[in-house]
Amino acid sequence: MLKFVIRRLTFSIPVLIGILLVTFTLARAIPGDPCLAVLGERATEDICEAFFRRNGLNEPLPVQLLIYMRNIAQGDLGDSLRFHRPVMDLLVERLPTTVELGTFALLFAISVGVPLGVLSAYRHKSAVDVGTMIGANIGVSMPVFWLGLMLAYLFAVLLKDTPFALPPSGRLTPGASPVPFYIVHGMVAEGEEALGILFFLSRINTLNAVLTLNGGLLVDALRHLILPAVAVGTIPLAIIARMSRSSVLEVLNQDYVRTARAKGLRERAVVGRHALKNAMLPVITVIGLNFGLVISGAVLTETIFSLTGVGRTLVDSITSRDYTLVQGFTVVIAAGFVLINMVVDIMYGYLDPRIRFN
Amino acid sequence: MATKATATLPPEAAYRSPNLWLEALRNLRHSPSALLGMTIIGALVVIAIAAPVFATHDPIKTMIGVPGETGRLPSKPPCLPILGCEEPLHILGLDLNARDLYSRIIFGTRTSLSVGVITISLSIIAGTALGVTAGFLGGTVDNVIMRLMDVVLAFPALLLAISIVTILGPGLTNALLGITITFIPQYARLSRASVLSIKEQEFVAAERALGAGPLRIVVAHILPNAITPIIVQGTLGVGTAILDAAALSFLGLGAQPPTPEWGQILSESRNYLFTSPHLVFFPGFAIMVTVLGFNLLGDGMRDALDPRLNRV
Repeated sequence: MLKFVIRRLTFSIPVLIGILLVTFTLARAIPGDPCLAVLGERATEDICEAFFRRNGLNEPLPVQLLIYMRNIAQGDLGDSLRFHRPVMDLLVERLPTTVELGTFALLFAISVGVPLGVLSAYRHKSAVDVGTMIGANIGVSMPVFWLGLMLAYLFAVLLKDTPFALPPSGRLTPGASPVPFYIVHGMVAEGEEALGILFFLSRINTLNAVLTLNGGLLVDALRHLILPAVAVGTIPLAIIARMSRSSVLEVLNQDYVRTARAKGLRERAVVGRHALKNAMLPVITVIGLNFGLVISGAVLTETIFSLTGVGRTLVDSITSRDYTLVQGFTVVIAAGFVLINMVVDIMYGYLDPRIRFN
Repeated sequence: MATKATATLPPEAAYRSPNLWLEALRNLRHSPSALLGMTIIGALVVIAIAAPVFATHDPIKTMIGVPGETGRLPSKPPCLPILGCEEPLHILGLDLNARDLYSRIIFGTRTSLSVGVITISLSIIAGTALGVTAGFLGGTVDNVIMRLMDVVLAFPALLLAISIVTILGPGLTNALLGITITFIPQYARLSRASVLSIKEQEFVAAERALGAGPLRIVVAHILPNAITPIIVQGTLGVGTAILDAAALSFLGLGAQPPTPEWGQILSESRNYLFTSPHLVFFPGFAIMVTVLGFNLLGDGMRDALDPRLNRV
């Protein structure tokens, strides 16, 4: 197993280096003078000269690449042109929104998709099966941004005065300012700055609400999460349902399932203990592959539901030409994507020895 | 030759025609999802070609100052006699710039269909060329090409497309290019895998022994055998490409106003969701139906063309 993990780790290194190369090249392919972009149109030649020297932009490209890699290794993603703050700080501040949204979207997709898929495979060609497959086909064809807008209209306008009404924007009711858990528990004195990781965790509202045992905050955060999470989770849900269905169908036709039935096992044991365990392997891979979809979905959904997460910040930065931010966020997202895929692969190898020894 | 032979045989024998494509077509005919998909796509193609016939108005002309168009400008709900509206007919109402929404959506079919088909065609050509080269030559070339594909795949597709369009500048052509690049690795991987499995087979060795050059082997033997999974993947890909293009337009990076494009129409009116929901509903619905058509056909084709599935 260790050998497999090491092999998989070494396989990721060239991809990670490739990502750095690509973002480095992309940032330098952007038209326009970076000095004028950062310091404004009226920057003189002398000022620009100093700017170039300070940022190592007058060095030859290979040297610039090394500086870039060194900075990234030190967690320095540069300063945002628009916010005049380190990109890393902005990331720590805004990534929690996206992480929370993505997690709930995937939880929704898995908790609905897997049972639906298994059920429609087990009741192959029944009304449940046909209905699920029609629903799944419509689900994968759904533009995320449209679904988000339609959900907002349905729950915030049409169901406005019913108990089903849900807020169409924001993460919490306006005015709510939750106290971070590290202050409630006295881990950090009030007024002092908390460590990045504590700050990051406290920005995940649901987690912070649980850690501070604040029921009202938890309900408020969850109510704001439902619509965007459903919007982001619908395409993954449809894919997961389809995958679980075909995977269970294939396993149910296997000899060992017939053997299990023949030796008189109860149906629940046949399906639960024999079929599902093997059928879930490809489903895990699909769940891993869906992280990309979740990120794409988050970019669109955060824009619709006015959530200041990574996706919305990225899109806004593109329109305002904040290249350092775009570059920094892109590197982190792509690297995170590679790492998640690696973890999924390793999990897959752990669960299925055939992969490990292949 | 095959058709001549089958023509003289009794129907039972004709049914066992060795022609893969005929068999696939027959399978497609029995698949309700493929039939529905083909119907949807067929209808959309007709609408796209004959857009001026179906449209009731000029898609980029505002109705301000047009005789008879009083009192309902701009962004008014659908006006149909069936709804008790006697004013000039606007099937889906007017948009925020007082343009006929129905005509804009009809013309938008052209944009979306061509974006989807062009994107996928380009990425199939580029991807297959790369994949076949990698698989056929092997060694360092293979390694370099495939690692490059891994890097492209490492970026979430929409994010990569956004980055590319940021550099190239917003616009439909650049959006198309950005999306094409995100799709290339899929086809490179598929075609490389096919080449690897086919190139070791005896008929290729025989061809080589007869003195055939590498180009002939690739074009005459490897490509025809590798094309099936690529076509299936491509059909499914058109739907995704249309979704991506609409998303880019929605973010303001794709089609620019006043071009009628569904994502762009949606983006223009999204701030008016609570007052004029019809402006958001119809373009999104059009996107969904189109993508659904390609997904249904792709699924049906996969079932029809994949003999492995037929056995189950």
